Amino acid sequence: MSSDFAQFQDAFFEEAAEHLAVVEEGLLQLEQHPEDLDLLNKIFRSAHSIKGASGMFGFNAVAQFTHKMETLLDLLRNGQTAVTPQTADLLLTSTDCLKTLINAAKTGAPVENETVQRLTMELSAASDMNVKAESKVEKGASTSVSVPAPLTSLRPLTEASPYPVRCFHINWTPPAWLFQRGLDPLQIFKELGNLGTLSEVKVDDSRLPDLADMDPERCYLSWSMQLKTGKERNVVEAAFEFVREDSVLTIEEVRGEASGVRSDGATASGERAVTPHPSPLTPDGSDSEPKPLGEILVESGVVSREVLDGALAQQKRVGEILIEQHAASPQQVEQALQKQRKMEATAQSKKTDTASIRVDTDKIDKLINLVGELVITQSMLSDLGARFEMSQMPVLLERMAQLERNTREIQERVMSIRMLPIGTAFNRFPRLVRDLSAKVCKKIQLVMSGEETELDKTVIEAIGDPLTHLIRNSADHGLEMPEERLDNNKPELGTIRLNAFHEGGSICITVEDDGRGLNRDKILAKAVKQGLVSDNDKLTDDQIWSMIFKPGFSTADKITDVSGRGVGMDVVKRNIEALGGTISIKTVQGKGTTFSLKLPLTLAIIEGMTVRIGQETYIVPLLSILESIQPKREAVKSVVGKGELINVRGTYLPVVRMYEVFSLQPEHTDPVKAILLILETEGERVAVMVDEILGQQQVVIKSMEQNFRKVQGIAGATILGDGTVGFILDVRGLLEIARRDTAVAA
Amino acid sequence: MSKTALVVDDSPTMRQMVAFTLTNAGFTVVEAEHGKDAVRKVSDGGKMDIVVTDLNMPEMDGITLIKELRKLAAFKFTPILMLTTESAMEKKQAGKAAGATGWIVKPFNPEVLLKTIAKVMPA
Repeated sequence: MSSDFAQFQDAFFEEAAEHLAVVEEGLLQLEQHPEDLDLLNKIFRSAHSIKGASGMFGFNAVAQFTHKMETLLDLLRNGQTAVTPQTADLLLTSTDCLKTLINAAKTGAPVENETVQRLTMELSAASDMNVKAESKVEKGASTSVSVPAPLTSLRPLTEASPYPVRCFHINWTPPAWLFQRGLDPLQIFKELGNLGTLSEVKVDDSRLPDLADMDPERCYLSWSMQLKTGKERNVVEAAFEFVREDSVLTIEEVRGEASGVRSDGATASGERAVTPHPSPLTPDGSDSEPKPLGEILVESGVVSREVLDGALAQQKRVGEILIEQHAASPQQVEQALQKQRKMEATAQSKKTDTASIRVDTDKIDKLINLVGELVITQSMLSDLGARFEMSQMPVLLERMAQLERNTREIQERVMSIRMLPIGTAFNRFPRLVRDLSAKVCKKIQLVMSGEETELDKTVIEAIGDPLTHLIRNSADHGLEMPEERLDNNKPELGTIRLNAFHEGGSICITVEDDGRGLNRDKILAKAVKQGLVSDNDKLTDDQIWSMIFKPGFSTADKITDVSGRGVGMDVVKRNIEALGGTISIKTVQGKGTTFSLKLPLTLAIIEGMTVRIGQETYIVPLLSILESIQPKREAVKSVVGKGELINVRGTYLPVVRMYEVFSLQPEHTDPVKAILLILETEGERVAVMVDEILGQQQVVIKSMEQNFRKVQGIAGATILGDGTVGFILDVRGLLEIARRDTAVAA
Repeated sequence: MSKTALVVDDSPTMRQMVAFTLTNAGFTVVEAEHGKDAVRKVSDGGKMDIVVTDLNMPEMDGITLIKELRKLAAFKFTPILMLTTESAMEKKQAGKAAGATGWIVKPFNPEVLLKTIAKVMPA
């Protein structure tokens, strides 16, 4: 049943996304190389794959639309029409539309039918026009355009039939090359035998040559036979499906001879295969769902539909009954109903959110290999443990080291399963830049590098939007108009560079443009105007640049279609930080701007510094630690209204005494004896006081919200080496605590 | 001994669906991504009871694959089914000329697939 295939839907959506990327990228390249046949073939194959697979799941809208695209692509690759900017544009727009259609099939989101129809027409028109231009291809293209909905082929060819028995007289001369196509007459006879009673099978060997002249791989025989069956003629013909066109075949219905057999149901069942479809098949497999009682009663004729509807109208809902019985108040029932709706909604969204990932078998094989090694190490250890003597201590240590190595390798491999090349997030940008370039009337080239850099799938999915925004921003604000560029002795063609690379335990992505750079005075003026800073505040460059991340901040003189509404940069920053990353800006006036994103490789594990406060162990995310210091007495200042401050090379930072925040009994209460960690987040710094730094380790994050509730200053928990729970500090939360405390002190 | 099937399709989804259906039906399935991959995978002279192949594939398309297979002694009479779309029925002729036993029109369901295989494969 087709519902069997439903489990492959996720795989299909994933594959379709890949194909769409191939199509889109291919079309963009095609504009530069319209003659590239390999490229066209590649695009065609991807479209073809989407069409074929979408039909399998009954996504007919997708299949039909892709079919239109495929028809045009086929004409292009056969050289029947040349690639023009118009066709490329049409195909690109159609790709977008196809994306929407596939997404609609996935989530049930609504689709703008007008767009689909308009594009369908345009695609047909483009194909037709091309067909008319070259009359010889008319047949191939026009027949393929008018394909009926393919659903009919899902219906079984045979159906259990109450039809009267027919008798067919069959004469069959197969083509001589029958065997060379792997066909076997015996198979056909078997199939006919399954349809009913086959009798009077006679072979005509008159065409058999002498043995010396005979080619054993050719078929010289003909047959005649009679078939009594309850099936229709087309079912009988279907047995010859693969040879009919090449055979001499006559199937004649002989009337009035079928007295012996009543119906195929009554013939000797030993000869017949079981009829495969006792009931007509519904393409969506909905017949597998159990029906409500009422439906069954109506179907079997016990009650009429009206009676059932009447009965259903009298039926009360559980909530109403409970209210009547005063078992629950209407408010309580309403609350419960709301809860139910919420649960349904989450269940629904979960359903669409289930993500799958395709993994190279290679990676899995290596993993299995490693697990094998782990098992060996484990058995060696338990063997050692069974008869351990102190003299074997070196052996034990060696085995432990081996175990550690195994574990680390397995961890790395498992992580790598979730790792995808960042190119999957990058590949939408060439298109974006092409469209932007047209919209803002600038000549822009996009140079990408480091696409092969791998990082966690979740991170990849989440950075697409922020990156889109940054590129859009560079195209619209960063790069100057061509005339302005020429006036400034710059090439007319503006460049946006997108680069990804690994740095330590994190990944860096830079979006760089060679445009005008940020204008310090303009930003400052705007910030003063918006009341973000006062006129006489002394701000560092970095502080000024970070202004553009404030909500509602835009220096664009006019709001354009592309950007400038001031919505966005703050969202970019928030999204990046939600991923545990940071964003920074480097800019040189007149030379360009670089946005650098620093992201963790994965969200599940972080590099942490374990620190001790009193008897408790906490973990500080390594990414946020700038340095750790033991201050001199004179560096620590208490300022009225600003709490406790520390002077780090001329900059005063607020000090947070961790033991006060978490109400612990510390070893040191004097900052000079304790250790201060300088942490940074969102460009702000804070000094956090701890007793001791224990070491550095990778920790697996366990969510606090899921297991307990959100606690300010704590990002999550983890299990430490000795089995106890350690809390991971949330630097942003700590900053807020620091601010609040100084406010209270003030 | 279980029957063996060679499934050739560049679309992993399609390949998995066919392979899954055949595995459930008791076949031992060998999967290949395209014609070249398939030829490589049968180059050890091993036989297959049935071949199911897509037509549009990179590296080596289905028609060429069928021709190549028919050249091998082990595949001279092996039933070979091609997966085709309704619009590509003209491919049917090319397939027959290359030596394809039969075809399955996409979209199909598992039952059609198994029935068509039963049609061409000696029990």
